[in-house]
Amino acid sequence: MNDSDKPMTDPIKDRKDDETAALLVAQAFIIFSGIYWFLQLESVRELLELAYG
Amino acid sequence: MLTSVYEQNKRTLITSAVLLLAIAFAYSDLRLTIYGALMPMFEWFETTPFGYVGKTWGAAFATVQAVHLVGLGVLGGAVIAADGRLLGLLLSDVPAKTVVDRSHRVFVWALIALLATGIFMACGVAMKIYYLPVYWYKMLALGAGMLFHFYIRKPLLAHDIDTLNPVVVKLVAIASILVWFMVAATGRWIGFSG
Amino acid sequence: MNELLYNLAVMIDDTQWSTLLHESYYMYNWVESTHVLTLMVSIGILFLIDLRMLGYAFPDVPASKIAARLNTPMLIGFVVMFITGILLFYAVPVRTTQSVWFRIKMVLLVACAVNAFLFHKRMNESVASWDNEPRAPKRIRTGAMLSLVFWSVVVMCGRFIAYDWFDCDRDPNALISFVAGCVDGQTRY
Repeated sequence: MNDSDKPMTDPIKDRKDDETAALLVAQAFIIFSGIYWFLQLESVRELLELAYG
Repeated sequence: MLTSVYEQNKRTLITSAVLLLAIAFAYSDLRLTIYGALMPMFEWFETTPFGYVGKTWGAAFATVQAVHLVGLGVLGGAVIAADGRLLGLLLSDVPAKTVVDRSHRVFVWALIALLATGIFMACGVAMKIYYLPVYWYKMLALGAGMLFHFYIRKPLLAHDIDTLNPVVVKLVAIASILVWFMVAATGRWIGFSG
Repeated sequence: MNELLYNLAVMIDDTQWSTLLHESYYMYNWVESTHVLTLMVSIGILFLIDLRMLGYAFPDVPASKIAARLNTPMLIGFVVMFITGILLFYAVPVRTTQSVWFRIKMVLLVACAVNAFLFHKRMNESVASWDNEPRAPKRIRTGAMLSLVFWSVVVMCGRFIAYDWFDCDRDPNALISFVAGCVDGQTRY
């Protein structure tokens, strides 16, 4: 495909699109990681409490 | 009109769809159906030459494990250098684009080494890992990490980094460190399980 | 000498904290995981510096800048590795003292330290003349190559410690027994 055949895209809108997608995924990962590690630590804490009181 | 909206927000729309599908998948029965359907493949892994060597030759398996660890180290170095730069903590007197681009090359080679050694190791203990939830967490984290790195992070950082929203850049760097740490930590936990 | 090391290890093994750490599933695994995962900081960054010298990474960034700017995070990584490494030894002192792999690893760590000292000395003496070259001169490249090889073998030995192929209680042959420092009539493994 030649360069001239590519659909014309606005570089600023293109950047905004990439930024929004990145923000969406980065937030999802950070929130998921927070919940995941909190639950992991909590389950270990409960297990130790059951074992040792 | 709709085509134009799609074209202008293509990556955001595809990403949103993938995230929604991932959530739906996590709560649907499809997950169990696919899990069951994958079993013959894992049984087959153990019958491959990799599986045979991995199971019968302990020293070979341990050596590949060690190479996997070295690969993990190199991948970690590349991630920390690039994301540390994006967070403004490391190499702040070198242009961010240079650090990100050069680290990416190292990252790709390390990832190839990790995937190659990882496949070998998985074949050797296929049925053990099949029943380990932590193995599947690792695979999900790895898949998410690779998609994130190549589909989200790389195209974003291909723009002039100075023109990008600094909050987004920093969040991307934190998410990148978190996801690769998750891959490594869940990987390590496979060794403690089963 | 081996008897002395064995007695010392038994003494550590007798301490309450060593037993507690060894028998604590979560704490031991947490320390072990931290030791392994810190690889990504310490050895990962060290390898980036070595690869820069060999011309495979960051060829257009001055070598001195890469070495200097990445030095601190790398050292933080090594400090964490060192502390967790000592804790791992403290939890399983007898078996670790008599592990062939642990002994090779310790010798290699000394070699790594000497190599790092010489590498920095040579680099500081000459870096001004080749700082912007994509590849360092041969002497520096040799040091970087040695660092890559030594540390890779250190990781390998560290991984192998977990395997019991050559443990003293498995009646190894004379050579292994000599290298591992197995003691006649030892009762603790």
